[in-house]
Amino acid sequence: MDNKKNILYGVFFLVLIILPFILNSRWESVATTFLIYSTVALSQDIVLGRAGMFDMGHAIFFGLGAYSTAILNTVYGVPILLTIPVAIILPLIAGILLSAPIVHLRGDYLLVTTIGFNIVFTQALKNNVFGFTGGPNGIFGIASPSIFGYSLSSQTAVYFMAFILLLITLFVIRNLETSKIGRALHYINEDSLASECAGINTRFYRLFSFGLSAAIAGLAGTVFAVQFSAVSPEAFNFIQSVLFFTIVLVGGPSSVEGVLLGTFFMFVLPEMFRQFAEARYLIFGIAMILIMIWRPKGIWPAKFGRIPKYFFKD
Amino acid sequence: MEIFIQQLVNGLTIGSIYALVALGYTMVYGVLKLINFAHGDLVAFSAYVGLVIMMQLAGVISSSVVIIVLVFIFTAIIISAFGVLLERLAYKPLRKAPRLSAVVSALGASLIIENGIMLIWGPRPKIFPSNIVPNINWNIGGVYIGLMQLLVLVISFVLMFVLYFFVNQTKLGAAMRASAIDQDAARLMGINVDRIIMITFIIGSALGSVGGLFIGMYYRGIYFNMGWIYGLNAFVAAIIGGIGNIPGAMLGGMLLGIFNALISGYLSSSWALALTYVLLIVIMIFRPTGILGERVAEKV
Repeated sequence: MDNKKNILYGVFFLVLIILPFILNSRWESVATTFLIYSTVALSQDIVLGRAGMFDMGHAIFFGLGAYSTAILNTVYGVPILLTIPVAIILPLIAGILLSAPIVHLRGDYLLVTTIGFNIVFTQALKNNVFGFTGGPNGIFGIASPSIFGYSLSSQTAVYFMAFILLLITLFVIRNLETSKIGRALHYINEDSLASECAGINTRFYRLFSFGLSAAIAGLAGTVFAVQFSAVSPEAFNFIQSVLFFTIVLVGGPSSVEGVLLGTFFMFVLPEMFRQFAEARYLIFGIAMILIMIWRPKGIWPAKFGRIPKYFFKD
Repeated sequence: MEIFIQQLVNGLTIGSIYALVALGYTMVYGVLKLINFAHGDLVAFSAYVGLVIMMQLAGVISSSVVIIVLVFIFTAIIISAFGVLLERLAYKPLRKAPRLSAVVSALGASLIIENGIMLIWGPRPKIFPSNIVPNINWNIGGVYIGLMQLLVLVISFVLMFVLYFFVNQTKLGAAMRASAIDQDAARLMGINVDRIIMITFIIGSALGSVGGLFIGMYYRGIYFNMGWIYGLNAFVAAIIGGIGNIPGAMLGGMLLGIFNALISGYLSSSWALALTYVLLIVIMIFRPTGILGERVAEKV
């Protein structure tokens, strides 16, 4: 089983490496966005799938990362790579501060409050509260990153940035899965009262999951800003959060393969059916309902609780 | 002072529309524990259906009172049928599934309705005719009240009282409350829970359709994706009042409407949306289950 999975991942990475050399520029851009969205969806999954908190405002952290990079680069002229620490730490702090007063809320109330945060965030960007977010049009002309004097401006370079981003995220999530924190989150998700009785500090782990996922989403935001060399409030609005939320649930909560498939299904497929322009979202809605009816736990659900074989022997 | 009262009247009008729509959210949540994200789009759909019926009837019947009454009745029937259909196709198969799966199903249904409207009527806004409800305004001590506003207020209050009476005084209402508290126990008491859910969707959709028609007649312009924003506002109203709680939805709708109107009147309308959600967040932090929501024994 594990071997099969390794081969599968090997093939997946190989395809991802070959992809930019066979795709034309439009599809290369779609593939790059796929990698970025996968990362954001995976980070959303830490909160939604693993910690079991209904967060429908994840685009905030994605947006914070992207805007940090954009503002630092265009206003203060900071090179892109040096903006990365800010694009990670700022969403991290925001994630913890925003979730601190609300993590104790019950499921749907948490969902509504995060929607509220997201709408306040986009409105603040649109109304240009801080004076440097560029209002409804956003910020243009973000420079491309450079390493040792080489400018990484080509689409392929950005693609590989996104690819590395996804690899880092997969590595973090793999570590999370097999660590004490991952087990604690899983337990909290199954039964928060029981986990608390077992001595797990549920509040700490919930804040931790928000912080971690916000940090990853922020990093993804940097790559997003680089890819489009522009950011605008529309890219981080509530509808976008709904997209990430749906990706996780359609793919399969707390299943990495599921989230990747979900991103493919929810983002790449609609791009493929672009010629059906208007009807595609109608069909899409039907597909969402059908998938949920046939596979309520997602296309590729996570498998848990496989009791080791030696328990059954003799 | 006149501005204040004027904004209060405007806010009450918008608030009662929100309250009507919020009732649909809160009743479905009460029985199914599901956020029916498609409800807002059903409301938008009802405005379009109502407009079509109105145009058809305008050629046949000359009395505008008769037209309006018929439009409300026909639209309510059609939208209720759609509500039941929605429940049957998108939510019923997911009764036993994890709760979030039903939320995704609701989002899918919302996409279907929204884009269905766009495919049928096109992406450009439609305008309600201005001559259906005569444009009469009364000036009471410097405060203007239109006939349309009066109609909205009176009809919404009547509907809310009827609903309150229905839920609290009739046998069917008692069955509905019982299903909301504990479906299994209700089933054991001989209540046909599936029928109750169907009735909930009928009532919720019918009230939503009245709200949708009011939006069309009051604001006149309707557009295919307006369901999102009106639905979300109404949903916030339901949450503020305490979701699952019928008087809570009415109170939440009124509060939200007045709050919105006062902000638009005194500050600026571009901040109304953001501050609405700030209000929501503050209420969620200090009263985690809404103003009238039941207190749940849970460690905070």
